[in-house]
Amino acid sequence: MNADPTDTRYPHLDLGDLIAGAAGQPIGDQAREHLAGCEHCQLEANRWNLVADGVRGLAAAAPETAQPARPRRIRQRLPAGPWRRAMLVAGSAAAALVLLVGVGAATGYVHVHLSRPGTETALTAVTGCSQLEQARGTLEQVNGSSLVIKTASGQPVTVTTTASTFVSMSGALLSDITDGASVMVRGHSSDGTIAAAIVTVGPPFSAVNPPGFVPVQGTVSGASTAGFTLVMSGGSRVRVTTSGSTVVVVPHAGLGQLPAGGTTFAVGHAGPGGTLSARGVAVIRQLPQGNPQLNVSLKNCSPASIDSALAFGG
Amino acid sequence: MNDPYGDAGAATFTASHEGACDGAGLLRRIGQGDEDAMAAFYREHGRVVLAQVLLVTGERAGAEEIVQDTMLAVWRGAGSFRGESSVRSWVIAIARRQTRDRLRGKRLRVVDDAFLADQPGSGPGPEVMALDRAELAEVRSAIRELRPAHREVLGLAFGSGLSLPEVAGVLEIPVGTVKSRLTAARTALNRILNEKGQNR
Repeated sequence: MNADPTDTRYPHLDLGDLIAGAAGQPIGDQAREHLAGCEHCQLEANRWNLVADGVRGLAAAAPETAQPARPRRIRQRLPAGPWRRAMLVAGSAAAALVLLVGVGAATGYVHVHLSRPGTETALTAVTGCSQLEQARGTLEQVNGSSLVIKTASGQPVTVTTTASTFVSMSGALLSDITDGASVMVRGHSSDGTIAAAIVTVGPPFSAVNPPGFVPVQGTVSGASTAGFTLVMSGGSRVRVTTSGSTVVVVPHAGLGQLPAGGTTFAVGHAGPGGTLSARGVAVIRQLPQGNPQLNVSLKNCSPASIDSALAFGG
Repeated sequence: MNDPYGDAGAATFTASHEGACDGAGLLRRIGQGDEDAMAAFYREHGRVVLAQVLLVTGERAGAEEIVQDTMLAVWRGAGSFRGESSVRSWVIAIARRQTRDRLRGKRLRVVDDAFLADQPGSGPGPEVMALDRAELAEVRSAIRELRPAHREVLGLAFGSGLSLPEVAGVLEIPVGTVKSRLTAARTALNRILNEKGQNR
């Protein structure tokens, strides 16, 4: 952290912290705690976040229309086998979904976009990810390690899971925010209080830092339907308010927690008999207020991207 | 409705760029002529390298050729990787050299160090206010108008998954100069937005 020459009351975040935060890299607890209570640093963080998001948006968009290299040049300059194969792979990856989760805090809307929404077939390809299939629908039942999803057209799809399948649950689950829970809160900060847009319960594995949102991590104290006090590792306390539009995410949920009737997304590999061997499953247990539109978005075809998308950035 | 995420790709998640594959192990296999390893390497790094090169050059066909040349260099020189940096920063450094050579051929300068290294940090002012008002799509558009060196450092810092020391390694400059350059890039971005009179 850095001393601000115009304000000697406390040190502000230094440029390295701001850049690291905008780049999605970890910053220290002390810096995080300072950020939670410092509007000056929040403004600076938001500016860097906006720049970083602009760069990432361009980077994510670039490969979508990229074409594999011209064969003439490849044959001239590279062994045909590996190069051609690599470029075929690249061509596939280039078309990968560049869709990401966002929360419009002002409206309480959640936008999660899975490719080709509204499709009525049971399993559909994930555009750009040649090995992946997807299914979406309503969770009918959980049978051991399998789920049955009923699609919009009424077709049942059996989704099989393994120990490595990522399962998340989300929605207006304020009751899951209990005293002692470890959470990450993202929302707007004002007068030392954070209005929570997203609360991720449990250890976060990937922090998104949207512009205007302050990510703060800590332990819940004094939980109620109106909010809670977030106790950070250094002992600092921040008041967090919640509402019916707050999205609560429980990554690494157990299958037994998944409620019948929940809106369900599954991504994985096609199995025998029209089944889906899931790499990840997301279930929306209870929609937040505001009649949100739900879509799931993948940055690319990697397992990490699937996990991130299905945990809504959790 | 003011939804900053309505624009596809507006917010991104950061995933581990080393992925499930051991990057150094892949390079060892590539060095032994393993075609599958080359394909896996491309899968792991090709997209990010292309995005970074495209950000700097702003020209797709040329960027794709630079990526080709970069991957050719990887295919031929995988055995030279000594593990002194991450695989990602190593391949991006190769791509940067390829880009520099290509642009130098066109008598363009990738980096104007004399101009960039000593740029002062920007305190809050009218130009910062322009950024405060800007929408994400406007910022993306303005980034395209930055000079290549500014686009390069922004891409390395925010689009490639590299840490500041890794960015410094790729650019072969001190970390402090990376910070100065990033600040200069943001100042230039503010200026572009301000000149456009963007309002939110």
